[in-house]
Amino acid sequence: MADTFTITVDGKPVEAHAGEMVLRAAQRAGVHIPTLCDDKRLEPAGACRACLVEIDGQRRLQPSCAWKVAPNQNIKTQETSKRVQRHQDVLVSLYMADHKLDDEGLPVETCNGNGLREWAQECQTLSLDPVEAPRAARPGDKNPYITFQPELCVLCARCTRYCDEVEAVNAITLTGRGSETTIGTAGMRGLLDTSCELCGGCIDTCPTGALVEQKAIEILPHQIERKVRTTCNYCGVGCQMDLNVAKVDGIEQVVRVTSPPPGETVNDGNLCIKGRFAYDFIHHKDRITEPMIRKPDGKLHGVSWDEALKFAAEGMKKVQQRHGPKALGFISSARCTGEENYLMSKVARAAFKTGNVHSCAAT
Amino acid sequence: MQKTGADRERVLELLTEMGGVTEENVRKIAKLTRVSEAEIWGAGTFYHLINKPGRRMRVCNGLTCRLFGADDVIKKLRAQGKEVTEATCLGQCDRAPAALDEDMKVIDWARQERAVTPANDDLPLNLAGKQDFSFAALEAARKLKPDDIFKLLEESGLQGRGGAGFPAFIKWKGVAGQKDPVHYVVCNGDEAEPATFKDRETMLRRPDKLIEGMAIAACAVGAKEVYFYIRGEFNAEYESVKAALHKAPDSIQNLDWHFHRGHGAYICGEETAMLESMEGKRGMPRLKPPFPHEFGFRGKPTLINNVETFACVPYIIQHGGAKFKAHGRTEAGSKLYCISGHVNKPGVYELPLGATLDELVGVAGGYMGNPMAFSPGGASSGFLPIEKRNVPLDFKGLQKEGSMLGSAGVVVLNDTVDMAKAAQWQLEFFELESCGQCAPCRIGTRYLHNQVSKYLETGDPSALKHAKDVGWEMEEGSICGLGMVAAKPLENAMQYFPKAFEKR
Repeated sequence: MADTFTITVDGKPVEAHAGEMVLRAAQRAGVHIPTLCDDKRLEPAGACRACLVEIDGQRRLQPSCAWKVAPNQNIKTQETSKRVQRHQDVLVSLYMADHKLDDEGLPVETCNGNGLREWAQECQTLSLDPVEAPRAARPGDKNPYITFQPELCVLCARCTRYCDEVEAVNAITLTGRGSETTIGTAGMRGLLDTSCELCGGCIDTCPTGALVEQKAIEILPHQIERKVRTTCNYCGVGCQMDLNVAKVDGIEQVVRVTSPPPGETVNDGNLCIKGRFAYDFIHHKDRITEPMIRKPDGKLHGVSWDEALKFAAEGMKKVQQRHGPKALGFISSARCTGEENYLMSKVARAAFKTGNVHSCAAT
Repeated sequence: MQKTGADRERVLELLTEMGGVTEENVRKIAKLTRVSEAEIWGAGTFYHLINKPGRRMRVCNGLTCRLFGADDVIKKLRAQGKEVTEATCLGQCDRAPAALDEDMKVIDWARQERAVTPANDDLPLNLAGKQDFSFAALEAARKLKPDDIFKLLEESGLQGRGGAGFPAFIKWKGVAGQKDPVHYVVCNGDEAEPATFKDRETMLRRPDKLIEGMAIAACAVGAKEVYFYIRGEFNAEYESVKAALHKAPDSIQNLDWHFHRGHGAYICGEETAMLESMEGKRGMPRLKPPFPHEFGFRGKPTLINNVETFACVPYIIQHGGAKFKAHGRTEAGSKLYCISGHVNKPGVYELPLGATLDELVGVAGGYMGNPMAFSPGGASSGFLPIEKRNVPLDFKGLQKEGSMLGSAGVVVLNDTVDMAKAAQWQLEFFELESCGQCAPCRIGTRYLHNQVSKYLETGDPSALKHAKDVGWEMEEGSICGLGMVAAKPLENAMQYFPKAFEKR
């Protein structure tokens, strides 16, 4: 089979790469196919059924996220297939019968958006009575970051698969069966009492806002004024992250941190607990924003960097002269890059003649 | 972390041994197997027999048992202070209302005989016949080339007896033709389709034919390991098969036999859900393709057949395909029909494939009362009006009627039954047994069950105004067969018995 060939989607030729799924080829060509359970980082699950399409030669509708492309394949989406459109209309209505709706009868908007809301707006929905599924939450969960709202969960299992396939942490799982199925943990314990590393990747991958960041729950996506791309400085990996800025009480603030989409940056859509959640210091009243020296009055005073560095260097030289180089030790922060760590060891070894140098990232 | 492999496969068995899902048990098993606690918890809570600790009675709330007063039995037992769980069909419809005691032994309230067709050595399965441990068919098969065996199967016209009616020889050939050197044979003994109890009788009465059929399959498709998945509630059946194995000659015992007990999930009768369960996971059906003949147990080519299918094989090898085929009428071979509900002598009867309802009820002691409807093949087949009594009970004929033979679990309903109520019972079953993986089935079964219950409470038919659309979507959009057919009982009842759904 050639590496690249053509398939037909809604009557138009689309370039496809051998081995990829129909959904990927369609997305690259700008064809819109709704999906809830798809995440490029995960094995296709075909579970949400949103992306079903008609494929020539197949009796049943098939999930485009899990169906491989083949030369001369003919695909019909909702654009050209009444069957696919009817399927979507009823399916989205079923999801809505199992979902929290707003006053207009649409799936509620959340701070994390809501993919179901967008999809519902594309469909002719039926007004089905709510099914009131007995999907349990974890009320005893005291973790300060990740909140699970079962009334918004579509059980696409992106969070549990992410926790397994990407993070290899396996803190959360599908639990129970049938309409009782929910996202749980062993013993339905709080995340702090599981293997969870609080990376928050489950929030990032959740398509409907069933998993959200507790601290930012009030701020909806349209309130975000801009996103500032920056490099996380908690360690030297160089993860890219987006600082989401919104006005709170009239003041511009970083209200949450998100990762750039998978496939765009070195961290492939992932962040850790520090990168994603540890941004409170930015606007904290105790934050130190300039170097300080304790003066003879016993209090700390703000000074220039030149003065601070000079003061520290003299102090250390005195120690070296009085007690020898072994009396000195240098520890660099885990937030330093490799280059900075190199410079730190240079200072220790060349300037102060001591091998007592360490980085806290090494432990 | 262990994802697959021998330790992972022990998880459910260990949970059973330790007495069900508790935090402590899960922690212990995680240490033993290195599978994460969450995954053990997630897998364990999927299955009704292990999802909570403790022992309790189980009373069947299947269609037939409800016709015979299961609800009253449950009330009475609870009034006596007993802890009772309602169980979805226990496969004891011939002794309705069925119940299991705390040790999962069948309680025989009515001391009913288990009726089967009288012994007749001409019949391929001959349930009442004497067990035969000569294993002559296996000896004969060992002298044949695999292709000759497939040819015999093809000539016999044997269709899978689990429900789909897929030609057996295609599956067998498909597995044998795979390049991977490791092949498995798996017998699906997770009989749980409501109103079906033929595999139960086969395991109890003719385990000789069953293990011989499996051994022939192993020989034909080149498998050294043979797996037997038996429904968790079927203890006597499990013992029966094991006892037969002890009596078998070396040629059978030399195969590597493994038993997997079910843990309480109807969906694990679906072959890929069964494989997931065997691998120690939640019994959620896989996407197909790939089919098990290329990607099955542990990802290896796997031949999966139903108990009855394997039990047909020795006769075909010994007497030839044509002779087996001649036992059928509209389709090939004889068939075990389970009959229960409003008939006088419920049981398992071996009749030509394509027999009619009247013939079947004839051997089952006649109708009880005035028959109104019947369900030809378990809950999944929906309902047909009694006017269809002359439709041959075979795979193709029933499909034409929008129904199916399925597992041939036939239930007769007489005119005392409220068809809306009957549909409600079947939907309750599907809601409880849906695996929950895909929305059309998970939400659809609950929606329809809720709506028909609302109709029964209020008498207002508008509760069911979207039932057709939802049923359509469940068939179009679900991953597996459960969701595809779950709306059938309601759809059929509304189609054939519109009066039962008028304003009350």
